Amino acid sequence: MYPIIALLLTGLSTTPASPNRLTGAWRAVLDLAGGPLPFSLTIIERDGRLAGSLCNGPSCTDLSGVTAIGDSVALEIADYDARIFITERGDSLVGTYRNVGNRGPRTIPFRASRGTWQTSKGPPTLLGSWDATFITDLRTSPRVFVFRNGTQGLEASLTANSGDYGLFWGRTSSDSFAVAHFDGSFVYLLTGRLDGDTLRGVFHAGLRTQTKWVAVRSTGKPHLKAPTELTRADTSKPFTFAFPDLEGRTVTNADPRFQGKVVVIDVFGTWCPTCHDAAPALESLHRRYRDRGLEVLGIAYEVTGDSATDNRQIRRFRDKFKIPYPLLRGGLNEVEATAATLPQLTGFTAYPTTIFLGRDGKVKEVYAGFRGPATGSQHQKQLDDYDRIVERLLGKL
Amino acid sequence: MVRAAATQWAVIPMVLAAQATPSEVSQERADFISWLAAAPTSPLRAMVLHPIGPGIRLGPATAEIPLRGVDARVEQRGLSLSLIVAGSPRPLPRDRAVPLGGYQIVAAGRPSQAVLTVFGRDAAAGSHEPSYYPYVNGWQRDVVLTPIDRPQAEPMLAPDGTEVEATEAGTVTISIAGQNASLRVFRIPTAGGEESELEVFFRDGTNGKETYPAGRFVSLLPLGGNRFRLDFNRARNPFCAYNTVYPCPAPWRGNRLTAAVVAGEQYRAPGTTQEH
Repeated sequence: MYPIIALLLTGLSTTPASPNRLTGAWRAVLDLAGGPLPFSLTIIERDGRLAGSLCNGPSCTDLSGVTAIGDSVALEIADYDARIFITERGDSLVGTYRNVGNRGPRTIPFRASRGTWQTSKGPPTLLGSWDATFITDLRTSPRVFVFRNGTQGLEASLTANSGDYGLFWGRTSSDSFAVAHFDGSFVYLLTGRLDGDTLRGVFHAGLRTQTKWVAVRSTGKPHLKAPTELTRADTSKPFTFAFPDLEGRTVTNADPRFQGKVVVIDVFGTWCPTCHDAAPALESLHRRYRDRGLEVLGIAYEVTGDSATDNRQIRRFRDKFKIPYPLLRGGLNEVEATAATLPQLTGFTAYPTTIFLGRDGKVKEVYAGFRGPATGSQHQKQLDDYDRIVERLLGKL
Repeated sequence: MVRAAATQWAVIPMVLAAQATPSEVSQERADFISWLAAAPTSPLRAMVLHPIGPGIRLGPATAEIPLRGVDARVEQRGLSLSLIVAGSPRPLPRDRAVPLGGYQIVAAGRPSQAVLTVFGRDAAAGSHEPSYYPYVNGWQRDVVLTPIDRPQAEPMLAPDGTEVEATEAGTVTISIAGQNASLRVFRIPTAGGEESELEVFFRDGTNGKETYPAGRFVSLLPLGGNRFRLDFNRARNPFCAYNTVYPCPAPWRGNRLTAAVVAGEQYRAPGTTQEH
């Protein structure tokens, strides 16, 4: 099958894509070296212009533009400098997904046919939580998989020590399954098979990175490190910070608004999908507890280091989540650079990291990473933990 | 046909053979040549690559990197890099192009050994585009990767001349011209993320004649499990072949083939012509 697809991708004749014929629902796949990654592509016409989205089941990323380039059409994905170049071939689409790095083009074959994917439910033998071990060059690292049936069929979450990878969606066939997460930047496919009481399979990242894994049913015993065990803080003196806000004013821990308050600090980046998952939780904390003495503060670590560009991204993030609390610009999104601006933390490892300060200004808890909605009960546990911590700290006058 | 392919994906084997075809390889080559021609950070546009050390100046004739119309400094401050223009510092990200005057700069490498590459608008003098041997099906080998017992991370130069922490993944054995040869394979990480490439940097009988003297890279294409395809038609030059600004990776111990691998990317020294 694969050589035929390849031939079609690079065949002899191409038909110029006519934009208005692109509208509708498409069953799309990226052809990774280890198998097809399925997702849904929807293109609509709005106010005379084409728009669209990429979806993994119910989780969608909007396209930032749909533009004709020569005889093909580019589906643009903002923020990631990524595009899917497509050409119509009969009633199908063929093309390539590309994003551009400093080391060369990154290209993955794309194809789509009209229609929507059939819903595929996972069997009871697969559903639920699994303790997985990734094996790379004989080294191992833990993950937790959770499979469940959603409104559009099989969904899954993958969680590492530093947080989850977003929602995976896919299908099963007899004892095997394939679930995928493609948001325009991250290209992840998890394939596996039930082998007695054990799940075995491969995690595919990008065109051809393949990591073997094996998983057993979760026993309830922790498989991952607790999020509070990854990053430590100096708790002997108040936590200090000084960063510019979006208007360029320096905001510090000594500002009157923080004195005697419980403060939740979100160390985040607008480029980080898990941080997008965490933002509503923090906005909700702020809304529910500010009258009792809670302040929330975001410190953004961004990609360019250029204040105008980075502030523009932070404003978009603020507007998207209707964030009423201050967002400051911390610096660059490199773990070492971020850690250097927060010297009272040791072992900084994940975006987002959430720091809880008591009314005395000292660090009481540090949560590394965030379990997003895709993780189901882990997500709810994290929200409950946050509420409990804030309640406890607010209670201490 | 495409529709059938798209709807049947759930019942096809989870691991598909990554069949290389001449058209795929020619598409890859075309993509790479257009990237070289168009990318602001194309190795063809690299003007200079300089260690940053505690700090370097860009601009005036006496600066470490003289650049017309620019006066700036790049400094290492703790674990971070700063770009200082007109006395005003800003953080300088790694592995990301930043415009400076009419140029692009990219900082890369580990904090203690960061390097700065400056790219101009035009192709640098002495740089040149790649050329390739015609595709020959017989230059593909299906191999089994034998992992090594204790993989160690070691710093080495990636194909683009930046230093990375690579891991020795194991060895593959191939047969060429009736002789068996064992090649070492390293896993080379990409900048950020979960992706990596399994690479073989090898030398062969064509080096210095029709191909680049320092050797060539070829990636392992996964076929499932420990099986991979080594397609020498996809052998490619390190960036130092396009532009002498880049450092060349040192040859990997043991990865020397006596046979001539007349497949993949060729090398034509600037100002020379070559027949094939």
